[in-house]
Amino acid sequence: MTDNAITGFDPNEKPAGAHQAEAASFGGVGMKIAGYAGMVAIFLLVALPLFWIVVTSFKEKPDIYTQPAQWWPANPTTEGYKSATTEIDFWAFFRNSVIITVLLSIAKIVLGVISAYALSLLRFPGRNLVFLVVIAALMVPNQITVISNYALVSQLGWRNTYQGIIIPLAGVAFGTFLMRNQFLSVPGEIIEAARLDGAGPLKLLWRVVLPMSWPTLIAFSIITVVNEWNEYLWPFLMSDDSRVGTLPIGLTQLQNNDGITNWGPVMAATVLAMLPVLIVFLALQRHMIKGLTAGAVKG
Amino acid sequence: MSDLTRRGFLGVAGGAALATGLAACAGTGSEGGSSGSAKAGGSSNTIDFWSNHPGKSKEAEQKIIADFEKANPGLKVKLTDAGKDYEEVAQKFNAALAGGSLPDVVVASDVTWFNFALNNRFADVGALFEQNGLSTSDYVDGLYADYLYENKHYAIPYARSTVVFYYNKDVFKKAGLPDRSPESWDEFTQWAPKLQSAIGGGKSALILDDGANYLDWTFQAIAWSYGGGYSKEWTPTFTDAGTLKAGQVLQDWAKKKYVKTSADSASDFSAGLGAVLLESTGNLGGFKDVKFDLGVGFVPAPNGVKCCPTGGAGVAIPSGISAERQKNAAKFVEFLTNAKNTATFTQATGYMPVRKSALQEPSEAAYLKQNPNFKVAVDQLPKTRPQDYARVFVPGGGADIGQALDKIVAGSDVKSTFSDLGGTITAAYNSQVKPKLKS
Repeated sequence: MTDNAITGFDPNEKPAGAHQAEAASFGGVGMKIAGYAGMVAIFLLVALPLFWIVVTSFKEKPDIYTQPAQWWPANPTTEGYKSATTEIDFWAFFRNSVIITVLLSIAKIVLGVISAYALSLLRFPGRNLVFLVVIAALMVPNQITVISNYALVSQLGWRNTYQGIIIPLAGVAFGTFLMRNQFLSVPGEIIEAARLDGAGPLKLLWRVVLPMSWPTLIAFSIITVVNEWNEYLWPFLMSDDSRVGTLPIGLTQLQNNDGITNWGPVMAATVLAMLPVLIVFLALQRHMIKGLTAGAVKG
Repeated sequence: MSDLTRRGFLGVAGGAALATGLAACAGTGSEGGSSGSAKAGGSSNTIDFWSNHPGKSKEAEQKIIADFEKANPGLKVKLTDAGKDYEEVAQKFNAALAGGSLPDVVVASDVTWFNFALNNRFADVGALFEQNGLSTSDYVDGLYADYLYENKHYAIPYARSTVVFYYNKDVFKKAGLPDRSPESWDEFTQWAPKLQSAIGGGKSALILDDGANYLDWTFQAIAWSYGGGYSKEWTPTFTDAGTLKAGQVLQDWAKKKYVKTSADSASDFSAGLGAVLLESTGNLGGFKDVKFDLGVGFVPAPNGVKCCPTGGAGVAIPSGISAERQKNAAKFVEFLTNAKNTATFTQATGYMPVRKSALQEPSEAAYLKQNPNFKVAVDQLPKTRPQDYARVFVPGGGADIGQALDKIVAGSDVKSTFSDLGGTITAAYNSQVKPKLKS
């Protein structure tokens, strides 16, 4: 359907004249081929490195460093997975990553939604100023605030604790920005109608505005989950060992920082680290599409 | 944001200023900053050891720590994962300097220690050892002297490596070359065509790191062998005849495709993609199961000039902790690098023994006998030479040199690239080092 929309070519259309039809079909086929070629190219670009990671995770060490490259493990082995989960405290890192990602994502999503709601639909003095301050915060890269955050958290005695990692990261400017603009795009008629029907602020949020904003909210949630799962700098500075360290930190311990790294276990651990995010994405993605196709205003 | 008025913009500016102000408050905090010495937190009988476990040495470190705790019942050692490489350890330590909770012992590499020493963040370990009745005379002189600045020693050698000349004996045999490393890089240039035809197309006679991965470290060996170098004390010598010659040699190899620079040179070499590799001794452990006959030789050093740079890391003690903690830290550092533990550590990782007496340890002697390749690296130790200031002491010096070498490999003019580099190094020195030098 989309292809037809793009190329303007409908196979069921009766040709008006033989010459014209030929020209149209030629252009259409050419475009189609180009389109598919583009899709294949992009698919390979994305899928090849992933494929390589998975294949390498099943290889024996000598098979990783060979030329020509092995596209399929000659001696498939699960040794990589075994050493990935035994050489480092893998499950402790994994547990920490799950705890930190879940709590942080919840905090960020809740904060993002309610602050965006206040900044878009509630009227109070200084609203724009607050929004501008939030946007200003968005412009300060977190590498710059790291040192002062470190000082503060360390003096609170929160180094090497979950709250020390989670609380400084929970501030969210991106979510506020994204959700505010989404809420502003909700048609004013609907909001007025809801208010006339006697919906209070919270009911308005839960029953009217949020259901119309699922796609944006879910996109924001996925971005947040993936970001928090992969966050490296701050957890690395805060954690001292596997008691609160996250998976990306654990992964670096599989690498040899002076000499040859055995990439098999590193790739195996990478695959294991990718799985949870992949599952979250697949689960949420369906809702994202559902949200996109559910319209509230007919027209 | 189309309605961003002048007033709105002022709001942004005000908000940013407010945020900055808050950040500044947090930075100084209540403890009066990092210079507040005695109260910088931490308990005095727990020694916090920040390490990146060089050469995957975490197990070896844990074993040494367990032995230390057994020998010193009152003391505990906490091993902290301080990063994946030396740069990350330095970054984490930097953050701790601003915020307190300093470690007791921290790993510092050849390029990271000096900046901390210059800013008085590291204590004089030599003096600490002396106060506590510990001796430093048994450390390999050159390795200990690497941490000397203004008559003070700022670290104790720990995971130290040097450059060695690795070669693929099978390719050398096929090319009809003698089973040894060349006397000079000129001799290597003569060998290169033979090696190239013996190893075949798509592979190269020599593999070097690329500029982002310590080419600036290994290239020192080549520059020194031509009588050049990066600097004499603080004066850059990139445009000296010897250094220019070395740069030209590198470029000629690159033009004839004899050399390949790689981000993962050791892996490429072990995959058989090159006949020769110039790399750290720390790779020896990883080369145990290569598919060809591995040769290890001295770095080419014609006319008896010392041409082999040392590298790797030492352990330092921060200056911002209490005297009591420093005393315990010194005790631990001494234990960590005593003869027996040096033997344990070198055998687990392939790093150099930092103690003279470690070679007399029965386990080390047996190990050297079994691993002749490792013995070559140890035998080369007396021929090593401290690195040039421009690489290790000038902030960002190593990275700048690496970038310039990458350009030379890619074909840009040697003389102008090196003279630009000299300017960059001098500027960095003038702005960041010179104002702090004591003399």
